[in-house]
Amino acid sequence: MTREQFRKAEGFAALALSTLAALGGLFWLVFILGDVLVHGLKALSPTLFLNDPAPPGVEGGGLRNAFVGQLLITTGATLIGVPVGVLGGTFLAEYARGKSISHIISVLADIMVSVPSIVIGTFIYAVLVKPVGHFNGWAGAVALAVIMIPVVLRTTEDMLSLVPWTLREAAFALGAPYYKVITQVVYRGAATGILTGILLSIARVAGETAPLLFTSFNNSFFSLDMKQPVSSLTVTIFQYAMGPYDNWHAQAWAAAFVITIFILVLTISGRLLIRWRYK
Amino acid sequence: MAGTLELEVKGLDFYYSGNVHALKKINLSIHKNEVTALIGPSGCGKTTLLRCFNRMHDLYPGNRYQGEVTFQEENILSSGTDLISLRSRIGMVFQKPTPFPMNIFDNIAYGLKLKGIRKRDELSERVERALKHSALWDEVKDKLHASAYALSGGQQQRLVIARALAVDPEVLLFDEPTSALDPISTSKIEELAAVLKKEVTIVIVTHNMQQAARISDKTGFLMLGELIEFDTTEKIFTAPSEKLTEDYVTGRFG
Repeated sequence: MTREQFRKAEGFAALALSTLAALGGLFWLVFILGDVLVHGLKALSPTLFLNDPAPPGVEGGGLRNAFVGQLLITTGATLIGVPVGVLGGTFLAEYARGKSISHIISVLADIMVSVPSIVIGTFIYAVLVKPVGHFNGWAGAVALAVIMIPVVLRTTEDMLSLVPWTLREAAFALGAPYYKVITQVVYRGAATGILTGILLSIARVAGETAPLLFTSFNNSFFSLDMKQPVSSLTVTIFQYAMGPYDNWHAQAWAAAFVITIFILVLTISGRLLIRWRYK
Repeated sequence: MAGTLELEVKGLDFYYSGNVHALKKINLSIHKNEVTALIGPSGCGKTTLLRCFNRMHDLYPGNRYQGEVTFQEENILSSGTDLISLRSRIGMVFQKPTPFPMNIFDNIAYGLKLKGIRKRDELSERVERALKHSALWDEVKDKLHASAYALSGGQQQRLVIARALAVDPEVLLFDEPTSALDPISTSKIEELAAVLKKEVTIVIVTHNMQQAARISDKTGFLMLGELIEFDTTEKIFTAPSEKLTEDYVTGRFG
C-alpha cells in the first residue's frame, strides 16, 4: 500500500467508526423513545388525566393526582430556584465581577451541577423531612430547586457576561443607578439566554425521581396540600412499574410518555429560543 | 469669542488602578457653546481626560483622581458629587454606537424615564424633539417601535446622540464618535455638532485631525498624558507654538 492509499484508508476507518458510534447512540435513543411512544399511546386516555388512582388491583382509575402533584412540585421548585439562581448569577457577573469570591462560587456551582441528585434528596430529607416528621411537597420542591439553582446561576452569569460593557457604560452615562442599569438594560440584552437557561433547568428537574423519593414521596389521593406528601409522575412511574398489576404498568408507560413529551417540548423551545436569538 | 467658563481642569492628575499615571498636571478651560477637540496619538490620555468629566472612571475600582475639575464652579471630583445628577447634566456618546436592546422610542425615552418623566404625551413630545434635533426623525418616524438594532451604524450613532440630547444636558462628551462610521454618516454627525453647539457645550476626542480642524473652536493636543498645547483650533493647525504640536498636526508622527 502506498502512503496515500494508507491515508485514505485511515480517513475511511475514522469516518466509519464515528458514523457507527453516532448510529449506535441514535439507535438506543430511537428505541427508547419509540418504546415509550408505542406503550404510552396505548394507555393514554382522558380518564388518565381526569381520575385519581383506583384501589390496587382494581381496573380503571387515572393519575390526576400525579399530574397535578408534579405540576405543583415543579412550579414550587421554579418559584424558589429561579429567583435565587438569577439573582445569584447577577451578583457573580455584576457586583462581584472579577473578585475571587465570584470565581469560588462559580466553581462551586459547577461542582454542584454534577452532584448526584439522590445526595441532594437525602440532604433535604435531613433538613426538611426529618424535623417536620413526615414527607411533604415543599421538601420535594426545595430539593428540585437546589438542583436548579446552580444551572440557572451559571447560565445567568454567562449570559450577563456576554452583554458588552459599553452598553452598561452608556446607561451609566445617562445617569442610571447600577440596579436600573442591570434590570432595565443588561437583563434585556441577556433575556433570551437567561430564559433558555431557566427552561432547560426546568426540563432537567422535571424528570428527577431520586430527590423526590425522600422528600415529597407519594400520595395515592388527590391533594393540593404541599405540607403533606404529594404525588409526582416520576415517583408514580417508579412505583407502578415495580408493582404487580398490568394496568399499573400501562399507566406507568402513559405517564412516562407524557413526561417525556413535556421535557421534550421544554428542551426544544429552549433550543429554538437560542437559535432565534442568535440568528 | 470668550464665552462663559463651563468646565475648568486645574492641575489634574489621574491614575489607573495599579498606579498607572495616565494624566499629568492637566490645565485647560472649556467654554460654553464651543466645540473643544482633544487630539493626540493613541494612548496619549485624551479619552482618559474626557472620561474624567462625567466620572466614568468611578465604575472601575482602583482609579484615582488628583486635582480639580470644576463644572460651573463646582468641583466635580469631590467625593460628595452626585454622579447620577452629574451624568444627566454631562452626557456622553461613545466610539461604537450603543443602542439599548429596546425599540427606538424606548431608547430615547430611557433617560427621560430615569428623570421621572412618565406622562405619555410629554415622553412622545420630547422623543420627537430629540430625534429632530439629531436629524434622525425623518428616517425613523414611521418605525419608532422597531428595534434600534435594525438601524444602520450611522443612524444608531445619531440615535445615541438623540438619547443623550433628550435629557437636555449642558455638556456633551464625544469619544471618537465617527471612527466606526462611513464618510457620509461622519459628515452628518459633524454637521450636527456645529448645530448643537448653540445649545450645548461639546468636548470631542478624535483621531481625525481634519475633523478637529473642521468642527472645533479650541483644540488641545495631548501626548503621553501631558497637555502639550491648548489654544484656538486655528492657531493649533496653522501656527502652533510647540514643535511637538507642529510635528503631529503636519503628520510627521502619530
